[in-house]
Formats: sequence, structure tokens, C-alpha cells
Amino acid sequence: MRRATSSLALRLALATGLWVALSLGVAGWFVIDSVVRQVSGAFDARLITHLDGLTAMLAADDQGHVVLTRTPTAPEFDRPLSGSYWQLSQAGVVGAASRSLWDQTLPSDPLPADTGLRWRTLSGPREEGLRMVERLVLLPGASAPVQIAVAVSRAALLDDIHHLRAGLSLVLVALGIGVVAGVAVTVIVGLAPLRQVQRALAAVRAGRQDQLGLAAPSEIAPLVAELDAVIAANRATVERARSHVGTLAHALKTPLAVLRNALADTPPDVAQAEQQTAIIDRLVQHHLARARVVALAAPVGTSLVSPRAIAEEVATALRRLFAARGVEITVSGQERCRLRMDAQDLTEVLGNLMENACQWAQQKVVVTVVSQTTHVVITITDDGPGLAPEERRAATHRGVRLDDGVAGAGLGLAIAIDITELYGGAVELLANPAGGLSVRLTIPMR
Amino acid sequence: MRALIVEDHPVLAAQLKAAVADAGFVADCASGGEEALFLGETEAYDVVILDLGLPEVDGLSILTRWRATGRAMPVLILTARDGWSDKVAGLNAGADDYLTKPFNLPELIARLRALVRRAHGHAQPVITLGAVGIDTTTQQVTLAGAPVRLTALEYRLLAYLALRSGAVVSKTELTEHLYAQDFDRDSNTLEVIIARLRKKLGEGRIETLRGQGYRLSR
Repeated sequence: MRRATSSLALRLALATGLWVALSLGVAGWFVIDSVVRQVSGAFDARLITHLDGLTAMLAADDQGHVVLTRTPTAPEFDRPLSGSYWQLSQAGVVGAASRSLWDQTLPSDPLPADTGLRWRTLSGPREEGLRMVERLVLLPGASAPVQIAVAVSRAALLDDIHHLRAGLSLVLVALGIGVVAGVAVTVIVGLAPLRQVQRALAAVRAGRQDQLGLAAPSEIAPLVAELDAVIAANRATVERARSHVGTLAHALKTPLAVLRNALADTPPDVAQAEQQTAIIDRLVQHHLARARVVALAAPVGTSLVSPRAIAEEVATALRRLFAARGVEITVSGQERCRLRMDAQDLTEVLGNLMENACQWAQQKVVVTVVSQTTHVVITITDDGPGLAPEERRAATHRGVRLDDGVAGAGLGLAIAIDITELYGGAVELLANPAGGLSVRLTIPMR
Repeated sequence: MRALIVEDHPVLAAQLKAAVADAGFVADCASGGEEALFLGETEAYDVVILDLGLPEVDGLSILTRWRATGRAMPVLILTARDGWSDKVAGLNAGADDYLTKPFNLPELIARLRALVRRAHGHAQPVITLGAVGIDTTTQQVTLAGAPVRLTALEYRLLAYLALRSGAVVSKTELTEHLYAQDFDRDSNTLEVIIARLRKKLGEGRIETLRGQGYRLSR
């Protein structure tokens, strides 16, 4: 089973959800808190306004009794048990009160003398939550300070706050869900081109199409282009391998036919059979050597090798082989010169060319490595019989005869030319002024 | 001449053994790396044919081990890989020659003979010692130009003495180089063969140095 977190859309939605929930929660708390503060403040301010109004209507009569010069006009103070009340008291004894109080009283426990305002929350005549404010007023000519109390039901306020909280929560939750869903949709829609690439790739693998052939968004277009290039390179390699195998198979048919006939003779033509076996062997050798080259679509990304070091290694090996003939092999040139080439390939090239040189040389084979601005030039010179100009041309001509049955002739040179050309280089055969043959390899450094 | 053939393919090993025997060598065969390593380190061989692709220990490691322990016998490596990297690796590990499969047996024999001669400092295939001529290629022996008929064992003994001409060769060394590892070695037989060679080539060519061995003068 796939783990839930392995889906990109789900991971992003989860992360976004967590973040959005946290930030919306904080924002909601902040909004509700400040609105509640403001509404409560306004409510209290109204109570104070009523209190101030009542205070202004008070006066003391000749006997020192406190009286109201007029009655508060606000209708809610007249409707019985409306939830808005006022009451006057002196030393705990209730005097005048609003009509709304009907036969009830508000608590009238006296205020300490130096108190300003006293806020209380209590239960009213109808068991409603009341907010009450009291003040002690000393009137000129009055016998005792009068205590004024104004109380208003908080039910409406609490209701408002409740509605606000519910409404805001609903909006915030909806907003959060919307954002998370939006992210999920964005990811799914955003990743759609990738699924398209995957389907196209599956189609290529199934052989239904040759290329991805997609008009992908600019972020994915390079990926599609690279994939198409890989597919093309792959196909080219397979194509080359197929034609290579075909060439080998066809090339083998002729000597096999001759071989079969030679064996069918009575008595069997042993000499002919041997010659054909040699040809088959050479064909196999040649195609094996080519096989590596064929497999490389483009020999890029290979490491740097030192041609001088590889020439030295080959020379050491050849000195053992040609010890009896007493061929002297000298390698000279720049130690620090480097080529971007597969070490095995360069060994193959130098091995073939230097062995040829040793076979033909009388005494000396000289290998020099010179690095020029863009190329490395490796020259292999022997002091053997050399080749006539037309022989030199024929030897480097592509498709040198491999079936001439002469051991060693041409095959090594053909392999060396194949590999060198794969690296964009060239092989030239030159006349050595002092007699003998000079093979010049020019390989680009890249 | 004793040759060690290290080859794990039984048919090829048998073909090699037959061809090498025809050419006048006595051959031991090893089919595995461990056995080859042991034989090469304990027996005296004049030449070794070493296949590089072996089970247990690969050919190159065997060769490296031999050279590290001072075994200097000529070694010809056989390999199915004809890339130059493999050739260079083999030769630089201490091989004296290489041959890639498939190869033809006459070429292999020619190279083996050349290796043996070279190891003893003879560049030419015909070794001439006074009136005696020994053609190591055709295994023909002539005395003053006239061919001399020798048995296989007689030829081997003479050829070995000729390769080491001028030096004193002990009976032990001769036995080691003339018989296969599993052969019942009897030094009395050597004396009989020496006596027959002296009769065919004339007295005085093969000296006996009492308690040391034999010497064929240059």
C-alpha cells in the first residue's frame, strides 16, 4: 500500500491545512475579542449616559429630601419588567424607582463613601442577567447622600456576541477549507502535465508512439526534450547494433559457404578450410572491436586520460613481445597532455598502431605526443620498409578488405581508424623521410 | 621440455596437451586456478600456457603471484578477449606472449618453442653445437649434415642439454624437465638414454661430471 504522505497533493494540502487553521484561529480570536471589547464598552457607556441623565434630574427640596425634577422619558424605563431599570436609595432605603421595576427592587446595599462607580453583574427581576452601575451623589441641601443605580439586561448584548462568534467562525472555517481545497486543486492541475508525460512515456514503451511529442509547459519542456533525446539516442544505438549484427551475419555467410564446400570435397580441402576459418576469425575480431564503439552513442562524459602514459604502458607490453627482435621503442612528448577519451579505446588504438609499427620496424619505433591548441597529435614512426603512396591511400580507405586472408594486415589499422573517427579524430599515413612509415593520429581535445 | 597447461575447458586442454606432446614437450594440465598456482610454484616448467579466464583464481592473479614469488618461467597467455587493454594488462603482469582464442595450434607451438629458446638465450630455431645441429622446429637432429634418428625421450634430453649447453645439468634437473609430474622417475633410465645418445652422436660430446651431472659443450 502506498503511504498517504507519498502523494504530493495530500502533503501540500495537509501542510497548508495546518498552517491555515493556525493563522485563521488566531485571526478569529483577535477579531472576536476586539469586537466584544468594543460592544461591551459601548453598552457600559450607555449605562453611564442614563446614570448621568438621572443625576442631572435630582434636586433637594426644602426638607432636605431628594426629589426628581422630571421623570426620565426613555420608554424602556416605563414598560414593566422591560430589563431597563433605575432606582434611588438613601442609606440602603429605596426611594424612587423606575416604573419598569414594578413591585421589585434592585439591591441597595450602601456604597462606601469614597467610591466612584460600582459595576455589578446580577440576576434581575425576571432572572435575566443584569449589568448595574451605581453612584453616590451628595446634593446641596440634602440630608443624606443619594445612591443612584441603573441596570440594563445583558441578554441582547450576549445574543449579539454569540451571533458574531458563530457567524465569524463559520466564515473562517469555510475560508480555511476553501484555501486547502484550492491548494489541492492547484497541485493536481499543476501536476497534470507530468501525468501526461508519464502516459506518453508508457505509450513509447508500449511501442504505440516514437516520441513523447508533447507541448509541455515551459518548466517541463526541457525534461520532455531530454527524454525525447534519450529515446532517440537509445533507438539509434539499437539501430546501429542491429545493423552491426546484420553486417556480421552477412559477412560470415560467404566464408561459411566456402568452408562447407571445402569440407564436402573428397578429400576435404583442408587448406581452404583453414583459410576460411582464419577469415571468420578475423571478421569476429573486427566486429568485436567495433562492438564497443557501436554501443557508445556518443563518447561524451568519459574521463581525461594521458596519451603519453597509455603509450608508455603499451610500449612496456610490446617490449616484452618484441624482445627477441630487439626492437627499440621510444615514447616521448608532453606528460601533462590530456585527452577526453576512454582509456580502453586509446589503448586499443595505440596497441594496434604500435604493434604494426613493431612488426615492420627494423630497429626503432618512435612515439611522440604533442598537444596543439585544440588537438593532440600522436605520431608513431618506424624504420621499416614503409608504404608506397598508393598503398598508403588504399590502407586508410574505409572498408579495407578483411577477407584477403593475410594475417594481421589492415585489421588493426581499420580498428584504430574506426575508434579514432568516433572521437572526431583522423588517422593519416605519411612517409617517414628517413624511410619507413609514420602514422599520425589527430584527436580533438574537446 | 616440460610445459604446464592451465586451461579449464576439457576439450581444449586435451587438444593442447596432444599438440604440445607432439611437439616434444611433456605436459601437465591444471584445470583450476588453485591447482595451477600450486604446480607453477612447486614444479620446474620450461614454459606455461595460461588461460586467463579460469574458475577460482583468475589467470592474471596467478601470473602476478608467480612473478611475485620469483617464478621466472616463460608464460604464454591465452585469452578470448582480444582488446589491447587486456593484452597490455597481461604482458605488464609478467606474461611473455599472448594468443587470442581462436588460435591455430601450429602457431601456438611455434611461439612456445620461441619462448623456451629465448629463455635460454637462443634466438635461432636451429642450435648448432660443433657437428651436431638441432632444429627445434622440426625436431630434426643432424650429425655433420646427416640426419640422426632419435626417440622422443632421447630428443627431449638432447634438446634440453643443448638449450643449457655449456652448463652442468644435474640429474634432478633433467628428470624434472623431461618427465611429467605423475611419471615414475627413475634416474637409471637417464643413464641408459645418455649412453644411447653417446652411441648415436659419438663419444665425448656429452660429458659426465661425477656427482654433479652432465654437460653438452658448446
